[in-house]
Amino acid sequence: MTLKKVIQKLVIYLILLTWSFIVIFPFYWLFTTSLKQPLNVSRGPKYVPTWDYEPTWEHWEYLFDEQKDTTWRHFRNSLIAATGSMFLSVFIGAMGGYGLSRFQYYWKPLKWRNDNIAFWIISQRFLPPALFVVPFLLLYTKLDLIDTHIGLIIAYTMFNIPFAVWIMRDFFNQLPTEMEDSALVDGATRWGAFTRIVMPLSTPGLVSVAIFSFVFSWNEFLYALMLTNFDAITMPILIAGQNNTRGVQWWFISALTLTAVVPVILMGLFLQRFITRGLVAGALKG
Amino acid sequence: MLRRQSQAEQPERGTREDRIMKRVFLSPTVALLLALSIFPMIWSLGISITDMQRGGSTTQREAAVEGRTAEGAGFLGQSYSITTRNYSQLFKDERLHIAARNTLFYVIVGVAVQYLIGFALAIVLNQEFFGRSFFRTLFLLPMMMTPVAAAYTGRMMFDSRVSPIAHVLRMVSRWLERDKTIVAPWLTDTDWARVTIVLIDSWQWIPFMTLILLAGLQAIPDDIYEAARVDGANALQLFRRITFPLMLPVSATVILIRGLEIFKIIDIIVVTTGGGPGSSTESLTMYIFSVALTFGNYGYAAAISYMLLVLVIIFATVFLALVRLAQTSRVRTAT
Repeated sequence: MTLKKVIQKLVIYLILLTWSFIVIFPFYWLFTTSLKQPLNVSRGPKYVPTWDYEPTWEHWEYLFDEQKDTTWRHFRNSLIAATGSMFLSVFIGAMGGYGLSRFQYYWKPLKWRNDNIAFWIISQRFLPPALFVVPFLLLYTKLDLIDTHIGLIIAYTMFNIPFAVWIMRDFFNQLPTEMEDSALVDGATRWGAFTRIVMPLSTPGLVSVAIFSFVFSWNEFLYALMLTNFDAITMPILIAGQNNTRGVQWWFISALTLTAVVPVILMGLFLQRFITRGLVAGALKG
Repeated sequence: MLRRQSQAEQPERGTREDRIMKRVFLSPTVALLLALSIFPMIWSLGISITDMQRGGSTTQREAAVEGRTAEGAGFLGQSYSITTRNYSQLFKDERLHIAARNTLFYVIVGVAVQYLIGFALAIVLNQEFFGRSFFRTLFLLPMMMTPVAAAYTGRMMFDSRVSPIAHVLRMVSRWLERDKTIVAPWLTDTDWARVTIVLIDSWQWIPFMTLILLAGLQAIPDDIYEAARVDGANALQLFRRITFPLMLPVSATVILIRGLEIFKIIDIIVVTTGGGPGSSTESLTMYIFSVALTFGNYGYAAAISYMLLVLVIIFATVFLALVRLAQTSRVRTAT
C-alpha cells in the first residue's frame, strides 16, 4: 500500500466513525436518560450510568407496571392501525401493480396509458396532507369514523397505496411471465394465476411493501392528530402530548419514546435489504 | 418496457376474461384514490370559497347575534355561504406569510444540507473498506425512527442548559478562557430554532439521501472510470466530468422527493418549539392545522392549503426546469 492509499483509508474511517457517533449518540442518550433520576438530568449532563450517576429502572417500571394499561392501549392502537393498513396496502398495491405491469390500459378522455396512470398514482403520495385536513374532518365526522381504528386504517391505506403500487409494478416488471403464461395455457384463470403463482413468487416485493406501509403508518403524525382524540390515539400522538400534560419529564419521555421506536428499529435491522430494495425501486425507477 | 410499447396502438386486446380482469386489478387502487384523494381535493377547493366554520358559518353566527336566522345551503350538516374573503385574507395574514417563509426555508436549506452530506457519505460508503455492510446498515437507523421521537431526542441534544452539546460548548469556552460562556439559544431564538429544526430533520433523513445516491453510484459502470483514469484524469476531474453528470437524474429525484416531503413538515416543529417563540417557526402545514382545528375556520384553512399546493407545484416545476436546463447545458459542453 502506498502512503496515499493509507491516508485515504484513514480519512474514510475518520468520516465513518464521526458519522457513526452522530447516528448512535442520540440513541445512547435516549437510553441513558431513561435510567436517570430527575436530578441527574437537571444537574447538567451525566454521561455514563453507574460511573457518574446511579441508574434506576423506575421509569420503565412506571411505564410497564403502574401505567401498563395506558401504555399498552396506545401501543395496541398503533399496532392495529399499522397492521391493518399494511395488509390492505399490500393486497391492493399488489393488485394495482400487477394490473399496470401485465395489461395495457388506455383511458380515452385524457389519452392516458399505463405510464400516465402510474404517474398519477404516485403523484398522490406527494400531495400535501394539509389539503385533506378539512374534508377529512367533515367526512369522518359525518361517517362517525373519528377516533376509530377503521378510520385510521382507511386514511393510512390511502397514503400507502401509491408507493405500494409503484414498488409492486416495478417488481412485477422484472418477474418473468413464463410461469403464469403456462398456467394460463393450462386453463388457470387470471385470478388463479395471480394468487397461486405470482403472489408466492413475489415475497420479497410484498415484504418490502409491507415494511414501508407498516413503518409509515406507525410513525404517522398528522392524520392521527387530526382523526383521533381519545380511544384510538397512537404512540406518536401520545409522545407528542407528553409535552403539555407533564411538563418536560425527559426520563419518562425517553422510556416512552424508546418503547415506540425499538420495535420498528429492530424490524428495520433484520429486514434491511428489503428496505433498501424497496426504496431504490421506488425512487430510481421513477 | 418493450411489452408496453409494441402494443401501444391497440388499446383493447386479449381475451374477454383479461379485459374484465385488468379492470378488476386496477379498480381498488383507483377507487380508493378517487374517493380519498381526488374527491377531498375538489371538495376542499369548494370549501375554500365558503365561510364554513365549525358549528355553522360566519354568516349564520352574525345573523344569530342580530337575532334573525340566515339560511345557508346545507351540505353534510354544514351550512355556509359563498365568499371570496378567504383568498383576500391570504394576502393580509402576517402569520401566514411568516409560515410560508419558514416552510420555504426548511425546504431549501434542509434539502441542501441533506443532499450535500448525503452525497458525501454515499461516496465514502461506495469505497472499498472493511465493515462496509455494517456501516451501511448502521447509517440507516435514524430513518426508521418515529419523527416525533427524533424531535424529542433532538430537543434533549440541543437543550441550552443540560444537553451534552451545551456542555461541550461550556468546556470549549472554558478552554478558550472566555469570561462569558458560550450559550447557544438552539430552540429559544427564532433564527437558531429554524436551523435546529432543519438539523433534526436532516439527522433523520440524510440516510435516505445516502441510500438512494449510493445505489446510483453503484450503477455507474467501473470501466468509465478506468478509461478516464487511463487518460490521466484526477479525482476531482473524475467527479466533475463523470460522477456528477451521471448522478444528475438520481440527484434530481432524491432532491425532489425530499423537497416535497419537507413541505409537509409538522411533527418536528410541534415537539421542539411548538411553533414558537410566538408563531415564528411555524410551518404552513402546522398553521393550516391550527386554523382548522384550533380556530375551527374551515374555509380559510382550505384556502391556505390550496396556497400550499400551488407553492408545491411551483417548487416542483421550477426545480424540474432547472434540472432540464442543467442537463442540456451538460450535453452541449460535452459535445
